[in-house]
Amino acid sequence: MHIPDGLLSPQTFLPAFVLAVPAWWWASRRARRQLDDALLPRLAVFTALAFLLSTLMLPLPGGTSGHALGVALLALCFGVPLAFLAYTLVLVLQALALGAGGLTALPVNALCMGLVGALVATGAYRLFAGLHTHGAVLLATWLSVMVSATLVALVLGMQPLIARDAGGAPLFFPFGPAVTLPAILLPHALLAAAEAALTLLVWRHARRRHWLSHPA
Amino acid sequence: MSAPRHRLALLAWAAAVVASTLVHDPVVLTAALLLALLVSGTGRLALAGRAVRAVAAILLLISAGYVGMSMFSGTLETGVLMRFNLRVLLIAVLTAWMLREVRLVLALSGWPAAQRWLLIVQAQITLFRRLAQDYRLARRSRSTVAPTLRQRYLGVSSLTLAALDKAVHNAETVTQALRARGALDE
Repeated sequence: MHIPDGLLSPQTFLPAFVLAVPAWWWASRRARRQLDDALLPRLAVFTALAFLLSTLMLPLPGGTSGHALGVALLALCFGVPLAFLAYTLVLVLQALALGAGGLTALPVNALCMGLVGALVATGAYRLFAGLHTHGAVLLATWLSVMVSATLVALVLGMQPLIARDAGGAPLFFPFGPAVTLPAILLPHALLAAAEAALTLLVWRHARRRHWLSHPA
Repeated sequence: MSAPRHRLALLAWAAAVVASTLVHDPVVLTAALLLALLVSGTGRLALAGRAVRAVAAILLLISAGYVGMSMFSGTLETGVLMRFNLRVLLIAVLTAWMLREVRLVLALSGWPAAQRWLLIVQAQITLFRRLAQDYRLARRSRSTVAPTLRQRYLGVSSLTLAALDKAVHNAETVTQALRARGALDE
């Protein structure tokens, strides 16, 4: 659900940078304490997996693309700070290696998908794990993708309201939330279900191998 | 090109991308697009092709949606259509140009931690791709009929888990080698 460069106004991406920089600083401080020689290679592998999952993109009419994220998997295996940092690296690699996403969209993409996605995934897992562990992984992943997609849709939908020319015409992305919400959320409801199944498959394997570094 | 020049080129790209979001006149955006293609040197057609391929699908979808909705409401503004198409295309050309010229590993030489992360993750991506290709070729060479959808899903799931095991093992070896050579000491 990447937002490409050129669709977001400076009124959006500059405040997003202001929010994202302390979040990256917080996450890297936590990561420095957590990372060791055993965790580093696993995190690198899961980051690479998230990168590959998110390269299979399908453009959506709402101004973004549909693809698996891998954020919930990262969060359930390594916790929120490492998942946020790892997903930021995925976004940077996609922007710099493939030209997908981009520099101005980076803080919005990182906050909506990397940080909020990871927070929702771990929060939902903790909430439902007592009822059914595997069900909690499925639900946590689905919710994580849907909440991230909703935020991306709202940020895009806000553009015609916050950046207009003198005549009232949009300067950046032209559609409001009435278009972006259904255009992004409907396909993602299906994509999230597929991602939930994949996350459960890999998460079970990681748990069997004792790769999880997170209480989840 | 030396490492500082790669870094400078990366920073110049970042500045140009941000600057392009401050320009709203379609004429200026067109001029900037033509200038970028002109200055990019030989291979500019390939560069333009790469940029167009990267953004064509998303721009076509948004433009078709905008034209359709505007015609329905009778408020079609070509300036809006040109503005976002030109801006996204300009940024795509700038990015394709940067990708052609800049070697990220050299550009990040001032930040060893970022450089190390980039190298480790790039190595894993290459490994995953090779594993997937090995698996596809092995499957094709052993089967005369195309797999069913169920067989494909089962194959993908077993490939993912096998690739994970192999990739983690490989990454552990690389990390131990880096540690033994003092690359992770600071």
